[in-house]
Amino acid sequence: MSVAAEAGPGMDTASARGRVRVFAQYDQSFAERADVVVVGSGPCGAVAAYELAAAGHDVILIEEGPPFTTRDFELDGPLSMSRTMREGGLRMTRGTTMPTMQAIALGGGSLVNSAICVRPPDAVFDRWATRFDLERTDRAHLDPHFDAISEFLGIAPTPEAVQGPRNLLFRDACDALGVASEPIARNVRGCRGSGECFTGCRSRAKQSMDVSYVPAALRAGARVLTSVQVQEVRRSGHRVTGVAGQVVAPFGGETSHRFRIDAKAVVLAAGCTATPVLLQHSDDLANASGQVGRNLQFHPGVAVAGLFPEVVDPQFGATQGYQSLAFLDEGFKLETLWAPPPLLSIRFPGYGAELQASFAEIPYMAVWDAIASANRSLGRVKARWRSLEPRLHWQIHPDDVEILRRSLVVLARLFFAAGARKILPGVQGLPEAMTSPEEAELLGSEAVRPEGMVMGGNHVFCTTRMHGDPTRGVVDEDGRCHDLENLYIADTGIFPQCPSVNPMWTGMALARRQAHALAGRL
Amino acid sequence: MLTGVFFLAGIGILGFAIYRRGFAGYRPAPEGLAQLHRSEAAFVESVAEVLFPSRMGLALAGIDAGLTQSIDRHLDALPRSKRLQIRALFLLIEHLTLVLPGDEPGGRARFSSLTAASRISILERLAHHPRPLFRLLLTALRSIFVLGYVGHPANLHRLGLAPFELQAAVSDAELLFPRIGGLPSSIVFADADRTDPEQASPLDPHGQRHRAYARAASTPRGSR
Repeated sequence: MSVAAEAGPGMDTASARGRVRVFAQYDQSFAERADVVVVGSGPCGAVAAYELAAAGHDVILIEEGPPFTTRDFELDGPLSMSRTMREGGLRMTRGTTMPTMQAIALGGGSLVNSAICVRPPDAVFDRWATRFDLERTDRAHLDPHFDAISEFLGIAPTPEAVQGPRNLLFRDACDALGVASEPIARNVRGCRGSGECFTGCRSRAKQSMDVSYVPAALRAGARVLTSVQVQEVRRSGHRVTGVAGQVVAPFGGETSHRFRIDAKAVVLAAGCTATPVLLQHSDDLANASGQVGRNLQFHPGVAVAGLFPEVVDPQFGATQGYQSLAFLDEGFKLETLWAPPPLLSIRFPGYGAELQASFAEIPYMAVWDAIASANRSLGRVKARWRSLEPRLHWQIHPDDVEILRRSLVVLARLFFAAGARKILPGVQGLPEAMTSPEEAELLGSEAVRPEGMVMGGNHVFCTTRMHGDPTRGVVDEDGRCHDLENLYIADTGIFPQCPSVNPMWTGMALARRQAHALAGRL
Repeated sequence: MLTGVFFLAGIGILGFAIYRRGFAGYRPAPEGLAQLHRSEAAFVESVAEVLFPSRMGLALAGIDAGLTQSIDRHLDALPRSKRLQIRALFLLIEHLTLVLPGDEPGGRARFSSLTAASRISILERLAHHPRPLFRLLLTALRSIFVLGYVGHPANLHRLGLAPFELQAAVSDAELLFPRIGGLPSSIVFADADRTDPEQASPLDPHGQRHRAYARAASTPRGSR
């Protein structure tokens, strides 16, 4: 069933098209008015905009990036990153140095993620409820929202036909070691296995927000403004009155015409690192608790590459098709992974002829990763001087380093169980290649130091956390700021802790609940 | 008074010497570069030459893989602040050997003026330097070059890792949004063009790869 059909008849294509504004259309400053302005068109913002528009409210959805058509996708991995990611995809944390990315495009991260949808286990919500005074944030209350989103996006386990050898080797390895594993559920309809989720799905099988919730919101009557940057949330007393900012050129970032939008309510869904910066820029808005920008958490990830005796045709198959939740109690989740080959080839050691020869091994390579539930590793987000880009300071906790070491050992064992002839652990200070499980046990030792691990942190949380106590959190369970009657936050910043699994679906479920609560108050 | 003149003259001579040794004498950069200056282009070529020296393993050497052009394109696509960081990295390593020379005779020279053996030796020293900052610099530099080299269409095609040749779908995004930079009036698709992803079948793992990549691999120097 098409999204348009699911979303109801709504407006026809021509009318919906007329409700979108793109960079080339801005020729002067402007002001508009709406019931609700939603800032950010990623998974949470798109869901909120659609639900509010479907409830009959006048909604404006704002996105700083441009919309991408398939002809705008760039197949060159690094070039694609520089076009779709803030700071060209080169953002790093300070403290413990780690790359982290945030998309800048209509649809946000959903345009360039691998569409993984996982419901957190009960234990996560139990922990949130008891530690953060939350009464309605549990599976019983949220499952209807998870279900509705699943139906809308066609979330389903990755079919075997598009797993490809590198994903199935992971399944076989787990079977061999008696570790539970499963195909990853994704918001994808009709995957062809092109393995290019990270550069944009040319098959449009991935139900990223720009092909699902955003068009549905348009057909339900919402307006969408792209290439506009919100620089300030406007306030009057205990209420916000709207947002203001400037038009911004795609990729270059040059700002031009000014705009202002007045609204009865504002929903900030700019992302866990951008929303707190926007609040700080808006005269430290919603920060009576002092928690805005604090409590920054990631799911730091590590990956191991394994080289097999036979070619595994790694370019074919779902980007991330298999996972294991068997180690969640120990603090980590395992997944298969593929990315544009140039990005993966950085891992190969050496120089000159030796390095060039080693690239011939890429077709024999599979990459599997682990993400850690690092809720003891904390940091903060602060605005940079004269910039809306964040400065991220984050420090990994020794206990979480131990979790990552353990996950590296498990990944290595799985590779050798699957028949890998060697692995490339990607840990500085250790052998660049390991050829036996015994040798790989070194990965669990203190020789693996945080500064030697090649980590990535692409799930970001908690910078405007939800808490029942207004002195200890920024928003309540409906995402409404404790300090302001009509300012809502709908992104992963409201998570009280990292959820231990990929966060997109949970963020969307929370956003859907928030939108329903807000719709009832307008 | 005279002391001051001598002092200023000394400063001038020293400045000229530093300029000559550090910044003068680069040959012109290849034509058509959007970002790289002649000194940066020379540095990029000198690194490419030692990282990917000849047609070993993969068909193309670093120079043939058009690394200068590729790195220039990537720089051009980056935000200004990140571009500056990468430029600073190039500048630092290009001139680091003036301060911390290699072991060989004549090692106190710009990186791009050193012999290939000296350049490899410098890179290896950075890779195993006790200070993490130096190792990080080398990792960053090496990554930039590996991305450009492996990402060359000819190399990817020859590795069997080029993207698949497939007909791009037409979804709501193609119906509702123009290409970046265009006006809505430039949208060429109508409802009748919409494709249904669920009607498409999985790709053949050994199926045809992207034509542009195959074309690049079939030309002598793998032009892009």
